[in-house]
Amino acid sequence: MGFLHRHRRLTPYLLLGPGLAWLALFFVAPLGFLGHQSLETQDPIELTYTFKWAWHNYSDAITTYHTQLLRSFEYAGIATLIALLISYPLSYWIAFRGGRWKNVLLLFIVGPFFVTYLIRTLAWETILADQGFVADRLRDLHLLGADGRLLATSTAVVAGITYNFLPFMALPLYVSLEQIDQRLIEAAQDLYASRVRAFLRVTLPLSLPGIFAGTLLTFIPAAGDFINAQLLGTPNQAMIGNVIQSKFLELTDYPAAAALSFILMAIILVLIGIYARALGTERLTG
Amino acid sequence: MTNTLTRQAFLRRALAGGAALSVPGFLPSLAEGAAEEALAKTLVFSNWPLYIDINEKTKRHPSLDLFTKRTGIKVRYIEDINDNSQFFGKIQGPLSHGKSIGRDIIVMTDNSPYPALLIKKGWVEKLDKSALPNLKNLVKGLQHPAWDPKREYSLPWQSGMTGIAYNAKLTKPITSLDQLLTDKKLKGKVTLLANFGDTAGVVALANGDDPGKIDDAAFNRIVNKIKKAKSAGQIRQFTGNDYAGMLAKGDIVAALAFSGDVVQLHADNKNLQFAVPTAGGMIWTDNMLIPKGGDAHTASVYMNFYYDPKVAAMVEDYVNYICPVIGADKVLLKSDPEVAKNTLIFPTSAMRAKLHQIDPDALFNPDYKTKWQQLLGA
Amino acid sequence: MSANAEAMPMTRSQSAPAKVFAFARRHVLTLYALLAFGYLLLPISVVVLFSFNHPHGRFNYTWQGFTFDNWVHWDAVPGLRGALEASLEIAAISSVSATVLGALIALALVRYGFRGRGATNLLIFLPMSTPEIVLGASLLTLFLTMNVTTGFWTIVIAHVMFNISYVVVTVKARLVGFDRHLEEAAMDLGANEWTTFWRVTMPLIAPGILAALLLTFALSVDDFVITNFNAGTTVTFPLFVWGAARAAVFPQINVVGTAIFAVAVSAMLANVVWQNRRARRLA
Repeated sequence: MGFLHRHRRLTPYLLLGPGLAWLALFFVAPLGFLGHQSLETQDPIELTYTFKWAWHNYSDAITTYHTQLLRSFEYAGIATLIALLISYPLSYWIAFRGGRWKNVLLLFIVGPFFVTYLIRTLAWETILADQGFVADRLRDLHLLGADGRLLATSTAVVAGITYNFLPFMALPLYVSLEQIDQRLIEAAQDLYASRVRAFLRVTLPLSLPGIFAGTLLTFIPAAGDFINAQLLGTPNQAMIGNVIQSKFLELTDYPAAAALSFILMAIILVLIGIYARALGTERLTG
Repeated sequence: MTNTLTRQAFLRRALAGGAALSVPGFLPSLAEGAAEEALAKTLVFSNWPLYIDINEKTKRHPSLDLFTKRTGIKVRYIEDINDNSQFFGKIQGPLSHGKSIGRDIIVMTDNSPYPALLIKKGWVEKLDKSALPNLKNLVKGLQHPAWDPKREYSLPWQSGMTGIAYNAKLTKPITSLDQLLTDKKLKGKVTLLANFGDTAGVVALANGDDPGKIDDAAFNRIVNKIKKAKSAGQIRQFTGNDYAGMLAKGDIVAALAFSGDVVQLHADNKNLQFAVPTAGGMIWTDNMLIPKGGDAHTASVYMNFYYDPKVAAMVEDYVNYICPVIGADKVLLKSDPEVAKNTLIFPTSAMRAKLHQIDPDALFNPDYKTKWQQLLGA
Repeated sequence: MSANAEAMPMTRSQSAPAKVFAFARRHVLTLYALLAFGYLLLPISVVVLFSFNHPHGRFNYTWQGFTFDNWVHWDAVPGLRGALEASLEIAAISSVSATVLGALIALALVRYGFRGRGATNLLIFLPMSTPEIVLGASLLTLFLTMNVTTGFWTIVIAHVMFNISYVVVTVKARLVGFDRHLEEAAMDLGANEWTTFWRVTMPLIAPGILAALLLTFALSVDDFVITNFNAGTTVTFPLFVWGAARAAVFPQINVVGTAIFAVAVSAMLANVVWQNRRARRLA
């Protein structure tokens, strides 16, 4: 302990060292290797890979898979929006009306998260089955054609993504809403603001950091997801995650897969940047 | 071709088969092999799921337990092969660097490029023929495949037919591929197999082409036919083995499927039937291979054990695919005649005449591979 | 209970329909919340229900009868037990490691000044904002290039990597609200730094550490994507479900899923109850 006392200034670096080294070794370095691999070419017959500054991997990837790329962001965007719409009133209710039971109510949101992701999604396969209860009732109500189906559609995939990432939206929203000083809302109402107006002018802006965090934490993983598309959809709903997965693990076309991974990351980072700029970064760290 | 086997029936028959094996005078050759060379203590065997006999109550594999009893070798049986490409993707890394994957036997299908590829790249060990006197029991038609003509590296585990499975309760019999792809009543309730070797073969036959010799023109005909059905919304999706769940559930009404699956699925849904398409179906074989680093001698001893008709019959009773071992049907005729007479398990020569194998060169053609992926993908 | 800002203005005499309308308006949010909870719990109830199903065949998609058999013989499916054990082992090792590494980082970030704070924050934030598929794929590339055989330990490495960020965030939140005066008081009373740390600091941030441990354990057991890329021939529970789902869906999968869920929820419930008791005691 005396050593640390004498070398006070070393302490933070010693504390940071192991963890950051781990991240550097197993997060940063792999990205470097991934980049290197994205510039190789694969000989599909001999299964060898050679480094060739193959920038064409990127252009090839975009031209071949732009449909899946766009579709991924489309699905992720819609799912995020729906998740926001579903979660906001729910988080609001727990934060403002939960009282003593807040923490218990939160368990309802977080709990489902503890059933393995795959098992949850498989449950949706049971619920939305063609010959199942839900589909039959919808057919009775003529909301679904006689030949129609719920599974193997983009609706099912988006619904699956929305459900699976709902906690990621609801929890940050809750944290943000819970911190709002209710006296501010009372003050607004004292100043003759209607309930709706008070909400729009006081509550909503103050919950913006939560909205920002929630949408990011939902959109980012959703864009890279492939499980929902695989289990609940058809190849017509394939997302970029499906392509990357297949290229890496089945076709072992590592260069193409690596290029696609970087493209995905780049687009996400750009979108985050635009989003942050639009919402105003200063208010977000609040 | 009805089949009324249930799970309980499987159990009864497996036990009956096991009893038949305890007849003395069993495989003196096994003891000889053991005396000559040291055997490993454990055999690590990777296989596809539901592909070996199993006792429903004890969850043990009777044939493997018998092997352990006879030879003292324990078997670590792992059902981790679900897809040829995916499994190959997993083992490619270590094998390409000369590392062992910790397996003595793996099983891959010959209508995928991988058995041939593994041999070509030298990533498999040679069989120890001195431990394989029962090799003579291999069915004639499988003795000289193009990719391993002298059977130096592989031995068949089971064969299977690719044909049409349909739910007799929800549709009239579907017996031709054209029916599958164009009958409007089936719209959106049909699946095809994602594997090129299976689907392209059946479609080629329906086009009047020889699936054993696919050239560019034939390939384009295949792709166009499927594209047409796809745009018409006929095909729900392309599947691996997962069509089985959809058939059982009723999400699909007809599919390109594997014969053994339909037999096994009977327990889930009694209405499922299998038909070899009128224009012809495909036959494929799953082969046992010894990956580099595996114990070739011990693996060969096991393979020899499997090629005893009595053992093969034991496994066959449960698995219900097509047995590659001569004489297994005669054993089953005594212990489980219903299985022995099931033409899905022991096809007649008339049926075999309608079954074809895929052109191995087409499997390796990278252009076809890309175009096929695009057909499946977007 | 704090003043409810949503309280209705003075009640005045209202006609019956108006009263009903007022009642509905007041509770529409509650009704919505109940519906939302129902939606959240629907698949879970299906999972739990179907763990008691008695299918005749390979698939567990249609209800075919009730049985306790699956719970009694939960490891009747070959490979399930091994996969579960692998998952639990990996989770135990990686959650402890990640919590240690992450807690140290959190301490440094909150307590000390140092150069490169911005870069450190970025490095912590990036893994959480990278899609899992990219994390998994890049790690696989590392292992392939360095000729490391993927398997049990590469999974552990991967899990520690993605968990560190979550630990930092969790523990940091706890540390930020920490009252330094308590530590100063202890030291004024003659305790050296080490004793202070163990007797004062640790107990007070223990809930944060515990939360981090639980969180990382759960994330590790549940992880599929990153594990799928780096597992080689090892099989964890989610990988087992993925593979099995092709050929058969055994009710035992539901059993294990329900069990994990029940344990996790109980742990969290216990944590909440404990927190409430502490709060009441300290108040």
